[in-house]
Amino acid sequence: MERGTPGPPLAQSLGSALTLLLAVGVLFAALEAVMLLPVDREYWVILLFPVVALVWFVAGTVAWRRRPGSRIGLIIWIGGIATLVAGLVNTDVPLAAVMGAIFATVTIAVTVHLLLAFPSGRLPDTRSRVIVVAAYLTATVLQMPTAVFTGGILVPFGVPMDAEPAAIGDSVQRIAAFALSVATAFVLVDRLRRASPARRRVLAPLYGYGVGSVLLIPTVALALGLLPLTVVVAIQLTLVAGIAVAFAVGVMIGSFERTAEAEELAAWLGTEEPGRAPLRAAIARALGDPTVDVVYWLPVRDGFVDDRGVTVDLPDRDGRAAVVIESAGQPVGAIIYDAQLLPEPSRVRAVGRVAAIAIARERLTTELRTSQTALRHSRVRLVEAADRERLRIAKDLHDGLQVQLVLLALEAGRIEGAAEDAAARSEAAQLRQGIEAAADALRRLVHDVMPAALVERGLVLAAEDLVDRMPIPTRLETSGLEAPLGSTVMNVAYFIVAEGLANTAKHARAASASVRLIRRADVLTIEVADDGIGGATDRHDRGLAGLGDRVDAIGGRMSLASPPGGGTLLTAELPCGS
Amino acid sequence: MRVVIAEDEVLLRQGLRLLLEEGEFDVVAAVGDGDELMTAVGAHRPDLVITDIRMPPSNNDEGLRAARRIREQYPDTAIVVLSQYVQRRYAIELLDGRAARVGYLLKQRIADITAFRDDLHRVVDGGTALDPEIVAVLMSRAGRGAGVVRELTPRQREVLAYMAEGRSNAWIGQKLVLTEKAIVQHTSNIYDALGLPVAADDHRRVLAVIRYLDGVAG
Repeated sequence: MERGTPGPPLAQSLGSALTLLLAVGVLFAALEAVMLLPVDREYWVILLFPVVALVWFVAGTVAWRRRPGSRIGLIIWIGGIATLVAGLVNTDVPLAAVMGAIFATVTIAVTVHLLLAFPSGRLPDTRSRVIVVAAYLTATVLQMPTAVFTGGILVPFGVPMDAEPAAIGDSVQRIAAFALSVATAFVLVDRLRRASPARRRVLAPLYGYGVGSVLLIPTVALALGLLPLTVVVAIQLTLVAGIAVAFAVGVMIGSFERTAEAEELAAWLGTEEPGRAPLRAAIARALGDPTVDVVYWLPVRDGFVDDRGVTVDLPDRDGRAAVVIESAGQPVGAIIYDAQLLPEPSRVRAVGRVAAIAIARERLTTELRTSQTALRHSRVRLVEAADRERLRIAKDLHDGLQVQLVLLALEAGRIEGAAEDAAARSEAAQLRQGIEAAADALRRLVHDVMPAALVERGLVLAAEDLVDRMPIPTRLETSGLEAPLGSTVMNVAYFIVAEGLANTAKHARAASASVRLIRRADVLTIEVADDGIGGATDRHDRGLAGLGDRVDAIGGRMSLASPPGGGTLLTAELPCGS
Repeated sequence: MRVVIAEDEVLLRQGLRLLLEEGEFDVVAAVGDGDELMTAVGAHRPDLVITDIRMPPSNNDEGLRAARRIREQYPDTAIVVLSQYVQRRYAIELLDGRAARVGYLLKQRIADITAFRDDLHRVVDGGTALDPEIVAVLMSRAGRGAGVVRELTPRQREVLAYMAEGRSNAWIGQKLVLTEKAIVQHTSNIYDALGLPVAADDHRRVLAVIRYLDGVAG
């Protein structure tokens, strides 16, 4: 599995690697400074080569450390190396001097590379790749005639200058360089035109400085022909040093590790919420991988879940891979993608960094939704468990104690029948009646918890039995209840009717009442109404309040309308989808 | 007299069997569910069937459905349905337009052995035995709101309730310590008040009264 943003240990190892690299750079620069010592020219100018190279190394290291996702740091480092090698032209070591001559203009090619690869360090399109390759070839291959035959480096070794091939090479190089400069400028202007105003403010000075350097460095010698050579070289090298610094600063001030796709994603993140396509689709579009999945970290599950709260294992085979996205050092989610389509996880990681905040927010939403769903399910389970438990107790009483009481009463009845004298008969009869009264009380208790009609025939008959026993005229209307209801809904519905009618009988002083049980589609509507004195509230009615909780738990709603003098209407709607 | 008992509680089944056998009833089969009941009735063709309502295999109104089938297939077989809880709808379904040879009682009534045996004999002899609790529900239901039942005297209502239970004039007279003639007078007044024709026998009288009470609910 690919891990996304480097965790602290990885960041540390990157830091120490860069420090080591910088140390090596300093060592080589010092080495070159020593190699240049015997040269009989003005040492301070010559010494500028390792110094400028050092500037590039430092700038490259800083850029690299700040933006590990961007390759600008690496390219700056290459530029530093090129500058260091170019400095060798001034040494007395023949091979090193030739190398130096060949590398004299590579730094300019690196500058073109930086310009076109900024800010990700990657060349985003074919035209920029062609230009960069051409620039490196122009700086090396076309430099060779000049390097070998002119510049005076070979004169001390007895090789005469041959101006003709050098001049031809030089001319071809100049023409190529000019063409490449124009092409580069064209691409950069095109990019500036399409960039957002905020980015343009960063890009324009950088491009200006970069392109200016590319054009100025080779021509400064011509333009400033009157000045001493040392001054010309000093100006050139200062300009070169400035390039590294400019790009390092540019990388740091913009969050320019964004790649083109990340930029598109960033634009999406900035759009207004309502019209926004889902995060997954936006990331899929940004990566060009329609199979992308975004999953969210759920600490309670110690794993990842999709937006419906279903646990997902991160894949690492069958061409699927995942990059974990972190925000503030904590995992927030992961992007699962097609590893064949996107062989480099770094691109996914870059997109993930841009989308991290959005993923973090979606994660919270998912977490909330998941916990809400879990809560609702657990409440339904609690209601069902309570129902089951009540039913179990009622059934135990019905099958056990109630039967035993009947048997005891029967036994008392037999003693009563067999008793010889009147006193004993009377006592046995009293005992029997006492047991019968106990059996009766138990029977009513069991019925209150587990109405026989509800168990045997369902809601309609049970409601009818309640209505039958009302002391005032009560109408019952039912419809759509031919198919059996789920036992939880049936129980809740029954107890709403029972509680409503009990309240009417006890408190309403009503002349009549009515009960309606209407099932339409997946909703059971319950109405218990009376024409009594009203003024009922569910606040002081523990029965109703308890029922309200159960109605809530199964996703229904219940309301009580009872204006003083205006009767009472208890309404409930229960979902009863099959 | 040959009896088949259907009751899923083993202890209660044994208690019932004992009670019946002590009272000169011949228990030819005692079973525990609706299917066995139908088989036993087919095999033994008993004079009387006593059955519980809630029994396996369905554990809902198994016994009631069996009772209705038996009434239809074997009209000469008397049926007494026992239950922990009684309700109007079951009584109406059980009677089904014919009040002869049928009883519907609370299970706990068996403890008053003499009264229970009397009820059984009455049913076997072609009469009716409806539990006082059912009758109370019917009476209260018919009497709520505005209605003729409400205008009856308390004594008349008492007599009407006994008539609905399936009691004979002689029994009612004994119970209320009145002459049978006085009871006849009461019943006649009740018929007039309710607008019912005078019934030839007790079970027709029960049916008429029950139909009346069930029909005039407030």
